[in-house]
Amino acid sequence: MPAVVENDVLIYKGSNFFRQRLLLSTLSGRAIKIEEIRSTHDDPGLREYEVNLIRLLDKVTNGTRVELSETGTSVYYQPGILIGGQVNHSCCPQRGIGYYLEVLLALGPFCKEPLNAVLQGVTHSDLDVSVDKIKSAALPILLKFILVDDGLELKVVRRGAPPLGGGEVVFKCPVRRHLRPLQWTKWGLVKRIRGVVYALRVSPTMANRVVESAKGVMLKFLPDVYINTDQCRGSNAGKSPGFGISLVAETNDKTFYCAEAKSVDGGKGEITLPEDLGRECAQRLLDEVYRGGAVDSAFQWLLALWMALGQKDVSECIIGPLSDYTITFLQHLKEFFGVMFKLEVQRQEEDEDSDDEQVQAAQKIKMTCVGIGYVNISKRTL
Amino acid sequence: MGDDAAFDKKKSHHAKRAGRKAEKKKNKTKLDQSNLSARQRNPKAFAIQNAVRAEKQFRRREDVIAKKQHIPQVDKTPLEPPPIVVAVVGPPRVGKTTVINNLIKSFIKTNVTNTNGPITIVTSKKRRITLIECNNDVNSMIDIAKCADLVLLLCDASFGFEMEIFEFLNICQVHGMPKIMGVLTHLDMIKNAKTLKTTKKTLKHRFWTEVYSGAKLFYLSGIVHGEYLRNEIKNLARFISVMKFRPLSWRMTHSYVLADRLEDITSQELIRKDAKVSRDVVLYGYVRGVPLMKESAVHIAGVGDMKINELSYLPDPCPLPSSGKKRHLMERERQIYAPFSGVGGIVYDKDAVYIELKGSHSHKKEDEETNEKKVLLKNVVETKETVDEQMQESGFKLFSGGAVIYPNMVKDDEYLQHNSKTNNGSESESDSDDANDSDNDSGIDQSEKDTKSSKLPWDNNSGSEAEDNEGGEDNEGKNSENDEDSDNENDDSEEESEEDEDFSKKWREKLSEKATEAYLDRQKTSKNIMKLVYGEFEIGNKTKEQKMESSDESDEEEIGGLFKKVTDTQKKKHKEKERLDLDECSFFYSSSKPNLRDWTAESNKQLLINSFVTGKRSADEDASELLKLDDASDGDDEELYGDFEDLETGEKHFAEKEKEENPSTEETGSKRKADPTKSEILAKKLKLKAKFDSEYDNPDDHRIKGDHSYYENLKAEALKQSELNKSVFENLDNGLRVEVEGFRPGLYVRMMFKNMPAEFVTNFDSSYPILIGSLNMAEQNIGFVSCKVKKHRWYKKILKTNDPIIISLGWRRFQTLPIYSKIEDDLKCRYLKYTPEHVTCNMHFYGPVTPQNTGFLALQTVNNNPNEIQELGFRIAATGSVNEINKSTQIVKKLKLIGTPLKIYKKTAFIKDMFTSTLEVAKFEGARIKTVSGIRGQIKKALNKPEGAFRATFEDKILMSDIIFCRTWFKVDVTKFYAPVVNLLLPLGSKNAWQGMKTKGQLKRERNIRSDANTDSMYTEIQREPKVFKPLVIPKALQKGLPYKFKPKQKVTTLSGTNPKDKFRGRIAVIKNPHEQKVANVMKMLKTNYEKKQEAQKQATAERLKAHRKQKDAEEWRKLKRQKELKKKICRQISKMGNKRKPQM
Repeated sequence: MPAVVENDVLIYKGSNFFRQRLLLSTLSGRAIKIEEIRSTHDDPGLREYEVNLIRLLDKVTNGTRVELSETGTSVYYQPGILIGGQVNHSCCPQRGIGYYLEVLLALGPFCKEPLNAVLQGVTHSDLDVSVDKIKSAALPILLKFILVDDGLELKVVRRGAPPLGGGEVVFKCPVRRHLRPLQWTKWGLVKRIRGVVYALRVSPTMANRVVESAKGVMLKFLPDVYINTDQCRGSNAGKSPGFGISLVAETNDKTFYCAEAKSVDGGKGEITLPEDLGRECAQRLLDEVYRGGAVDSAFQWLLALWMALGQKDVSECIIGPLSDYTITFLQHLKEFFGVMFKLEVQRQEEDEDSDDEQVQAAQKIKMTCVGIGYVNISKRTL
Repeated sequence: MGDDAAFDKKKSHHAKRAGRKAEKKKNKTKLDQSNLSARQRNPKAFAIQNAVRAEKQFRRREDVIAKKQHIPQVDKTPLEPPPIVVAVVGPPRVGKTTVINNLIKSFIKTNVTNTNGPITIVTSKKRRITLIECNNDVNSMIDIAKCADLVLLLCDASFGFEMEIFEFLNICQVHGMPKIMGVLTHLDMIKNAKTLKTTKKTLKHRFWTEVYSGAKLFYLSGIVHGEYLRNEIKNLARFISVMKFRPLSWRMTHSYVLADRLEDITSQELIRKDAKVSRDVVLYGYVRGVPLMKESAVHIAGVGDMKINELSYLPDPCPLPSSGKKRHLMERERQIYAPFSGVGGIVYDKDAVYIELKGSHSHKKEDEETNEKKVLLKNVVETKETVDEQMQESGFKLFSGGAVIYPNMVKDDEYLQHNSKTNNGSESESDSDDANDSDNDSGIDQSEKDTKSSKLPWDNNSGSEAEDNEGGEDNEGKNSENDEDSDNENDDSEEESEEDEDFSKKWREKLSEKATEAYLDRQKTSKNIMKLVYGEFEIGNKTKEQKMESSDESDEEEIGGLFKKVTDTQKKKHKEKERLDLDECSFFYSSSKPNLRDWTAESNKQLLINSFVTGKRSADEDASELLKLDDASDGDDEELYGDFEDLETGEKHFAEKEKEENPSTEETGSKRKADPTKSEILAKKLKLKAKFDSEYDNPDDHRIKGDHSYYENLKAEALKQSELNKSVFENLDNGLRVEVEGFRPGLYVRMMFKNMPAEFVTNFDSSYPILIGSLNMAEQNIGFVSCKVKKHRWYKKILKTNDPIIISLGWRRFQTLPIYSKIEDDLKCRYLKYTPEHVTCNMHFYGPVTPQNTGFLALQTVNNNPNEIQELGFRIAATGSVNEINKSTQIVKKLKLIGTPLKIYKKTAFIKDMFTSTLEVAKFEGARIKTVSGIRGQIKKALNKPEGAFRATFEDKILMSDIIFCRTWFKVDVTKFYAPVVNLLLPLGSKNAWQGMKTKGQLKRERNIRSDANTDSMYTEIQREPKVFKPLVIPKALQKGLPYKFKPKQKVTTLSGTNPKDKFRGRIAVIKNPHEQKVANVMKMLKTNYEKKQEAQKQATAERLKAHRKQKDAEEWRKLKRQKELKKKICRQISKMGNKRKPQM
């Protein structure tokens, strides 16, 4: 739903895409107002994790103004200048660290000082991308835009499963004055599959069982499969029991697809069989590979963001089918930055005639845009 | 453009190889071999004799090359560039207008009566220029410097350079140096030939030091019949038309428009009611710099920040000639466009359009020239109609007349006309298109109704595309449906068997099934993906009709009187409501988890297998195919690689076996390649040959070359990017292209601004440039700007903190209150009251956020009051560049807190008077303090009484007379004051007299306020009493221990009890009479004589004694010697005896 613009303030309705809107507002420097946040719900107003996100944004910026209405159903957010630097934040365990980390990742290159954030909370959550996924699939995307890796790092210090969490990650991100335009139309073929299985406060055999089943599926496609197990002990295992797996497929053009699966939250009365988990994750990875494209489907929006924020040059990338989230993000990009992508559905090559039906790959979309010439205005020059 | 390039290509020179001339040349160059030295005969043998020298030479050459290299920049000049802005700048009465008139005459052969505002003319087949004159106002000079590509700097040679010229050059340097050509006029005023020569020379050299040495300086030697000499003007024109330009960093990141036309479209009724009502104003001009985005905020210099309400492009009013194979411009193509100055026959006034007809007899002559003019006039008349239309609040169809005249324009214009057409006619077309679309977009048909009435620009494209590929797409659809079906069937059977299960589970399954369906749909649908994403936005100059929606709602069909049929809009609304409060999730299938395909199933596996390196590759990547291609190209070498033995592993490879295997693999995977054609092979061979040639053939130069591959790669990358930038949107529909790319430079655009101050229109003066600069992201915000700044060395005064100054930064000119500071070694900004004289310092002010490294200049006044200028001399107060932006500042100033001891214990003391409350003390607990004498200490804790006193400890006992300091820093806040210079809104006569905030000094001077002298600072005579020290008292016990020397001596007591020194006080001097003198003399002589004798005697005695002692010594020596010998003898005897006795023992 397009925003209403009033006095250069974008007015939105509803709590969905709260994070997107705050993120884009912070980057664009435009004030936003979000109204009717769960106004018809039994539990109206902002959730704890959303307030927590505002707190985090306040920590990485200077001069941010936030006004909450009395009922909490409307927020006015006027962003300040991104400063970055050392940030300690304990994230709300209702959402995973990924919810917050993605925001930091998007903001990271545009801070005044290199970001060095320590986030505590749930490292693996159902709703959000896990830290493993960000580390393996999202950081390489940023690397394509900044080209030189001087201190881009994500370290998982401790893992924490929901509901109590107790995990900790350290995220470091260098700053850039501007991002370079990117042409990324080839992603190559999957050459190796790696993975991590973690087991927190459960029997270590769980991990091995997950590995076995996941490997069983993947080996049908590729011989180069290697899955690590991460048995966490003591304080490193967080506060809640749980186990899970994340698989990464790397192509020969440095594209990373990542899929993950985790056990059902403890205390819900359901149990997850490790074999099922491994198989499910492998299936998801295959699904991701099938969708293809230059980036993992969960990070299409990051790619779009950084393409749009590039210099005033043409960027073009080919990605798999657009997710709902990306579609909304593109709409938001248009509203905040006025940048519109040219989206084309890539045609399958016509020369394959005989067994055409068999090798029908997923639809690919070519995104082309001219960067808005965004420069990091907060960085200091000497 | 392509054939243009071919047309321009000159035939290259070929040296003669045969014939008389070639023979002659050969003889000339042929040297007599016999006379040559060995080195000359065989230079190769002597190529490198001295390694050190060779190395030096190589290094020097590399240095020279490296010095020439610049970081390659992406070339952003558009295919059809906007006219070049040529600004004519100079002090008043140097002949600016004459130069412009003459230039126009030389370019397009028409006389222009009055020049006002920008004048655009076509000068050559590929170049247009916009001439603009700069009036004598700093504001205009600044704005012109920001937008000019080329500056003609006019100077009266008989007078010399004036201050305005230097000011302008400095302004240019700050905002990005455009090309500058100096033009000396009034040379005929200097009669003497010699002075003329020297003047020219001195002026030239002065100009060179300002611009760069070798800068072009033109001489216009005189005026004949009010015009400069034709030859000189022609020369100048030629220079202008071949000038090349360098990209400037600010203009390569911002788009800008130099408005050359203005219309007020406010309804007359509103104006009649209230003359001051804010107006709706339309400005026209060419986009320059980078593409102009529709949503971007703009700054109109001299007015303020504005939001473009409507932006659309128009057909070019002054188009470049069509690219035919002609050498020269046709007379018809030499166009001029200058609405402000009434050229081309039109004068736009506030509310009327005047047409100039050149007198009553102008129609009579019917030669070619007038014919041309008639064409022009016709052009104008046609436009006039559209102006009328425009009066009735119309869009931008203003220049459709122009498009009619130049048929090549119609193509561009097509889209415009589409839009201008209302719902008639195109209805059916778009309907069919829409039908097409709705087939393709599943689930997004909601926006259909809205878009029906107005055709979306991308429908042109993708509609047809969709049709083209319908067949293939269907196949795809069927295929995936099959897969889906099989999945669903499985599900179904399961469901049937477990029918008695509880409802909720079934429901959940249904849900997931639905999600699966949606997910599979997603992967194959959205033919028109652009519409899926951007369908809800207004695209291409048109506003979505709100009415349609409401009518939709009223149209709701009622079924059975009770139930309403759910319309699309309602569905859409419902959907939106559902989405409104969902949890945000960036996964592909956000909340619903569909059943994925079972990828291990053989049929599904085939879809995927080729995504892995183990799968089959496409023809251009497959190694074996490439090998085969190589083999084929080698032809007869085929057997060479037929079969061979790997020596390391001992494996044997056979060609035949390979051939057997190949078909088998082809069966399993898909065959993706076609056999290489002959042309392919040939191309490949040629490429290889070229590569070899470039590597090995180096015919003329045998010297070693450095490796410049890094630089070459950078250059290639930039080139590739610029080509991509130009080519990627080439085939896109213009309306969509403008959306995606923005209004590219070179387009003539119409911008509508709402709520413009009425003064802008009522006080409009076309001699002031209207510069509309776009603002990039976040640049419309205001924050604290930190920059480095240096007072200009020609400015007479130094600048004081918090005195208002006018800053020209980015597009803006504004007044603000700066605070100067100095960055200390610990990066702390320390407050300075005044700018230092000759070094840069830091400056903070509250102003618009601007990217780092942007240059700015500061003025204390922009008022053109001649007295003030006279007094100031040079008006530019300071120049600098932006360092950092922030939302808060940290500038500090030194603060010393002073206290005195209240009570002193050993090393602890109570200090009072430093603070006023306990709270203050609490804040400073642990702070370092120091006495004047240098004893250091620390604040410990507050005391109860008196308020503000505290306990402190020191490294030594302090004195009651000590003063105690606490050194701290005090934060200075930057005043939030930011006032744009709105000189364009001022009344006509006083546009150059903008007055902002005044300094305190100015106000005091104006009102004749004198400040009272501070009595504390007044001089009073200091009277110091001499210090009286107490006598030194040494304790008795210590006195006892002292040596006598240091013991205090007893006072000598005399009988009289007076000081012994006083003994002589009462005595009288004696004066001898001559006799007594004689006696005394004799006595003296006797005494001397006696003393002499005594001395001689003493000497003699000493000598005697010496001799005697010598003798004595000798005797002693002899005696000793004798005794020694005796002792020796005795000892020998004794030892002999001893020896004899020993053996017996």
